[in-house]
Amino acid sequence: MNNELIRRYFLSQAGGFSLGAIALAAMGGPARAAEEPRIGLPGLPHFAPKAKRVIFLTQSGGPSQLELFDYKPGLMQWAGKELPDSVRQGQRVTTMTANQKQLVMPGVTKFGRYGQSGATVGEWLPHLTKIVDDICFIKSMNTDQINHAPAMTQMLTGNQIPGRPSIGSWVSYGLGSENRNLPDFLVMLSKMQRPSDQPLYDHYWGSGFLPSRYQGVKLRNAKDAVLYLQDPPGLPRTVRREMLDGLSELNQHRLEQTGDPEIGTRIRQYEMAYRMQTSVPELQDFSKEPEEIFELYGPDSRRPGSYAANCIMARRLAERGVRFIQLFHPDWDHHSRLPSWCTARCRDTDQPSAALIQDLKRRGMLEDTLVIWGGEFGRGVAGQGKWDSIEAGRDHHPRAFTMWMAGGGVKPGMTYGATDDFSFNVAENPVHVRDLHATVMHLLGIDHERFTYRNQGLEMRLTGVEHASVVKGILA
Amino acid sequence: MRGSRATDSPSALKLAGLLTGSVQRTAACALLTLVLPLALTAQTVNFSREILPLLSDKCFSCHGADPSTRMAGLRLDTREEATKPRRGKAAVMPGKPEDSLIMARIAPANPNSIMPPERSHKAPLTAEQVATFRRWIEQGAAWGKHWSFEKPERGAGASIDEFISQRLTREGLRMSPAASRETLIRRVSFDLTGLPPTPEAVAAFVADQSPDAWKKVVASLLASEHFGERMAMWWLDAAHYADTDGFQADSNRTNWPWRDWVVNAFNKNQRFDQFTIEQFAGDLLPNATPEQKLATGFFRSHMTNGEGGRDPEESRIDYVMDRVNTTGTVWLGLTTGCAQCHTHKFDPITHNEYYSLSGFFNSIDEDGHAGPGKSKPYLKYSSPYAARAIAEAKQLVDSRKPAEAAARSSAEKPFALWLAAQTKEVQRGFRAWRNLRVTGLESAEGTKLTQQSDGAIQAGGPNPVQDDYRISATLPLRAVTGLKLEVLPYEGHLSRGKSGEFLLTDVKLQVRKKGNSQLRDITFRKATADFNADTKKHGGYGNITDTLDDDPRNGWTTIGSAQSAVHTGVYALAEPLTLAPDEEILFEMRHRSTTGDANIARFQLYVTDQPGPAVESVDTAPLEQLAWLKAGEVTPEPLRQKLFEQFLTTWQPYLAAKEMLDRATRQYDEVKAADAVNVMVLAERPAPRETNVLLRGVWDKKGEKVEPGIIAAIAPWPAAGYPEDKRDRLGLAHWIVSRQNPLTARVIVNDLWQIMFGAGLVRTPEDFGLQGEHPTHPELLDWLAVEFMESGWDVKHMLTLMAESQAYRQRSEVSPELQARDPQNLLLAHGPRYRLASWMLRDAALQYAGVLNPAIGGPPVKPYQPEGVWEELFMGRFKYEASEGPAQYRRSLYAFWRRSIAPTFLFDTAQRRACEVRISRTNTPLQALTLMNDATYLEASRTLAEQALSLPAPQRAAAVFQRVLGRKPDSKEATVLQREYDRVLQYYRKSSADAGLLVKVGQSSSKASSPELAAWMVISGMILNLDEAMTHE
Repeated sequence: MNNELIRRYFLSQAGGFSLGAIALAAMGGPARAAEEPRIGLPGLPHFAPKAKRVIFLTQSGGPSQLELFDYKPGLMQWAGKELPDSVRQGQRVTTMTANQKQLVMPGVTKFGRYGQSGATVGEWLPHLTKIVDDICFIKSMNTDQINHAPAMTQMLTGNQIPGRPSIGSWVSYGLGSENRNLPDFLVMLSKMQRPSDQPLYDHYWGSGFLPSRYQGVKLRNAKDAVLYLQDPPGLPRTVRREMLDGLSELNQHRLEQTGDPEIGTRIRQYEMAYRMQTSVPELQDFSKEPEEIFELYGPDSRRPGSYAANCIMARRLAERGVRFIQLFHPDWDHHSRLPSWCTARCRDTDQPSAALIQDLKRRGMLEDTLVIWGGEFGRGVAGQGKWDSIEAGRDHHPRAFTMWMAGGGVKPGMTYGATDDFSFNVAENPVHVRDLHATVMHLLGIDHERFTYRNQGLEMRLTGVEHASVVKGILA
Repeated sequence: MRGSRATDSPSALKLAGLLTGSVQRTAACALLTLVLPLALTAQTVNFSREILPLLSDKCFSCHGADPSTRMAGLRLDTREEATKPRRGKAAVMPGKPEDSLIMARIAPANPNSIMPPERSHKAPLTAEQVATFRRWIEQGAAWGKHWSFEKPERGAGASIDEFISQRLTREGLRMSPAASRETLIRRVSFDLTGLPPTPEAVAAFVADQSPDAWKKVVASLLASEHFGERMAMWWLDAAHYADTDGFQADSNRTNWPWRDWVVNAFNKNQRFDQFTIEQFAGDLLPNATPEQKLATGFFRSHMTNGEGGRDPEESRIDYVMDRVNTTGTVWLGLTTGCAQCHTHKFDPITHNEYYSLSGFFNSIDEDGHAGPGKSKPYLKYSSPYAARAIAEAKQLVDSRKPAEAAARSSAEKPFALWLAAQTKEVQRGFRAWRNLRVTGLESAEGTKLTQQSDGAIQAGGPNPVQDDYRISATLPLRAVTGLKLEVLPYEGHLSRGKSGEFLLTDVKLQVRKKGNSQLRDITFRKATADFNADTKKHGGYGNITDTLDDDPRNGWTTIGSAQSAVHTGVYALAEPLTLAPDEEILFEMRHRSTTGDANIARFQLYVTDQPGPAVESVDTAPLEQLAWLKAGEVTPEPLRQKLFEQFLTTWQPYLAAKEMLDRATRQYDEVKAADAVNVMVLAERPAPRETNVLLRGVWDKKGEKVEPGIIAAIAPWPAAGYPEDKRDRLGLAHWIVSRQNPLTARVIVNDLWQIMFGAGLVRTPEDFGLQGEHPTHPELLDWLAVEFMESGWDVKHMLTLMAESQAYRQRSEVSPELQARDPQNLLLAHGPRYRLASWMLRDAALQYAGVLNPAIGGPPVKPYQPEGVWEELFMGRFKYEASEGPAQYRRSLYAFWRRSIAPTFLFDTAQRRACEVRISRTNTPLQALTLMNDATYLEASRTLAEQALSLPAPQRAAAVFQRVLGRKPDSKEATVLQREYDRVLQYYRKSSADAGLLVKVGQSSSKASSPELAAWMVISGMILNLDEAMTHE
């Protein structure tokens, strides 16, 4: 709403408050100045971006590449045999399997080749097979961390120790917002019924040493989608408007006395808060979404807070110009019983993830929206538990795993990188988490080496001090 | 939003002349550069201030102390290396700029050979900087240490004001006049106690004409017990204290007695050197008292990680590193963490020294595990602050018991009436459970479901390995409390699978509204079955409770009991469910087990409206039992009792009283445990561990062995009077507070300055190294540091000096010219003006409202927080229940701090994950929402409104205004207040229902509602949200 619209809204809603409305219209001054979308840092983007925004579909827990993407038919002859040392090369396992033999468990799913690109996808992801020509698989992802929290922290902040800004905060800080009614960086967690073993810490979307206004704002599936958004019962919008008018006027008076520009900022932030009280509930109202959208995203999309419903929300946020949208779906940590555990998460996410790509494409938004799908690491080729039983699962594996990306300047219908015969080590074109970060930044028009923030005497950057390079091979 | 940009910049504003050419983002900084070109034309170049920062910024990353990244074998970090001849010439040839190679590279004829090179993304030196270099070499290239590594000396000057004024005079400025007395007392009260002054204190100070009026105010605040609480907030952030471990499990810990030790230490003004020694090594002191051991909890405040699969040794190493890094930041103001992986590129800390320092902390008797009982070493401690909290909690329970008992007995009469009516009613027959009215039957994978004439649902057709059955239905009853599933044998088996056993992994109940695409989840409170298989025997399958958790790896089966019998499961709803006319339910039965092939063959679904016991067991509902009685038969006492319990679950007056009592009881049960708790402390293991350098900082890549030791460039080992060979934590502590140590006193007085002035004299309080900022007033900093040490490390003395200074008492108003000239107020030509810490805002609101519970210490409390914030993060594993009674109104210091999600009502706080000493201050819409809608502020507004109403009408607005801001409104303000009040009142006069709703907020909800009360509540809320109300003026 612009200034005039706020006034009209006020006049139409206020009923007995016409006096207030007149005073409001007469007031003018900086408190009323229309708010521009917040632009980013001067000099950014460094070059023309391919992607204007990012949707990161974070699969927390570590999905198994061996069942879902990385087809290794040759493993059948290794079934039940010990993983050769020449492959393992001293790789740590977690203490959960450190004391058991590393016996090879071939992937338990059937694979097919799909699309013109002939991408390999496991049978537990039937919907993904329909969009393989729109996406780019990276099969050579690797990370340094073998435990959840450090690995996820590295995936999202570039460093395993909490305290650095998350990638969304960096983007928000650097590029600013295209929308003046919503935060730049929004986060959604799937509503699950069972307690998850891996909590989703708020430092995953924290701003680290960047000012806290750049931290991700969590859109909750609750009465207050944003904490403290709702005015209390018995305080209608008209009264809130009245209260804010008085507040602005008194603050303006103080600004004139003290000369402190921070007061001007405060006045504007209260107005932004007021606008968010309308814009956020509007976001949550799916009643205008046609029935076919729910059919596209699948039955779970009818349940607010589900991953599927969050995928629809992600598209709505993208339409409104939110810069960085991050979904978290927990509980991919299938240490046992792959056929029930891993499939449960596939059922939650397969159709909605594919639908999101189709939906964005139909609207012509896939071109400038970068979608990323993946977890903090993958799973190991050795079975955890008795490898040939239905009970078996897989332990964490940092050295090679699969992620996929789509849109936003990424080459569609391709597979990048490859693993060895055991999906254990990267065999060609390794992509470290740092390289992924460098690439995401590149697609957003940012040179990751030149995008720094001074903290504790150092010029810090997302990609840290070790070498990171843009994965040129996947750029469209 | 753009207006706040200046405050967002990382205070990277070095004083002009010290500008090193690093990226400067703010226009503000550019202005400062223009107007304050000090020292550039001075005769002698100061190496430490003018040259060293340039070398550090531009050169050291490739030509510094770290050999691993050194280029061309050239070092510029020592005079010896920089002047060493290389093929006849040297980088720096004293007196001969023309011959010095460095000059040829920083200002070369050929731009391609410029240093720093383009690939480093460092800006080339400016012409001025090059000129400075030239003059420095001309003058003989004198070398020296970085300023903070030189021992502080008192220098010329006798007071804070003298140093500040001297500097201002040089700039042609002077101090602003003193602020008003109302402002001053409010300012100093927040600074020293974190609380606003009471109206009485303001009035007394304003009226006090004695010359030492101000001194008395300062002294009384320093004597207040709230002083220690305020200081503790600083110290807890530095220690990253929290009430949970962090990481995956994020288990609760009970280290709060250490927090109270800190409060107490500040209150009794313990010498800061002693305060330091006890926290490093209280356990090693001769005849250590429990409190001295408790003090070492500082170094156990880090996060601990008990994640399954993590090597505990890796975690243990993390904790050791945390202690080294925290020591570096808190006492030394050094980014020691940089030396974890390699020799520090800028500061004189080698890779080996880092690990030598870690050696002091490497032999703690810990094993890297986490969680209650697993985080040794512990001190079993009985806190003197526990008894009060326990008594308070018990008193609350006792005070609520009579109301519950009264409500219970007053329910007897209506119960008797109800029972008589029911007895008559059920004579005509009663069925507690009614069949669902099925409207649709579907399955996900192809099973054909059909309803038969007896209401049973039969599965037929394809028999997939796994399937979800979906039953749509309307309800035969108005308010449904439970759902019953009967699994019926079909041809002698319960499922269509080979084994004949069924396995139901999950159920889901949702409501669908006609014309709305979205579904609403209905939650179950409890599930009960007539038989649950033994989960241990059947791979985790058995228990019906597990059908509620959306996990296909567990669920309900009745293996082990007869397949020929009906099996019953009863699901109790969390809340009674009533459908609108255009709604129906959708019940989903998931068969998604790992092996599958266990889909139910035939079943019946029923619902009931019977509350309480009827839906918590598979037994016959009490009313059905009543129906079986013969006419006139006396109701047997056990049945009568059951019916009474059932009646109570629907009797609102009783439920309300019971809920109040239950909450108090739960709180008491928790608080009781505070009597004696395990506090994580330091203790040495009998045999010390060997300490090794860790290559690239990786926990299991051991390099050479090192002995415990210190950073030689700071001060020599050992501290005076300490034996050379006793390389323990006690020795380290003595070294930290030794008079030889140039850093500790400077770093701490800088923190104290930050407490009083909102920002330190060094604007990077965590970094006094080469990459940190230079002090705005170096001589003053040194003077304060020496004063601090010579006063006997007397914290209250230092704060008194600051509070009594004229600099501190200046008014904060600023002219546009001055604002443009010095937007960061580096020169202190006016008082600092900034937003107060969010915890002070909450505490202040409690005090304005008159509800603050001023008790000191004890177990943590839980202030209001929106529902579900813990639950959603942990998927229900932790539940937040706000404290009840007086415990709700404790200071924020005592708020339970869950590491993975900090208290939501606080903002811009330290995250308590790693050590933080710098204050974050942002200005966001989310903060506005918090201050407008958090229950604490709403309740405070209501209480302020009640206070207002107790006064004569004309005094009200001014009274609330003055209570919050400590001053009277001016005429403009008074006009606006009156106008807004009139308008809001007009609304609530028309809508008294809203007035009634609004004033209900909080536990102390108002007895009487009126349009006036609601209107004053809105106006009080407006005053609490004034910029001035949240500002250190």
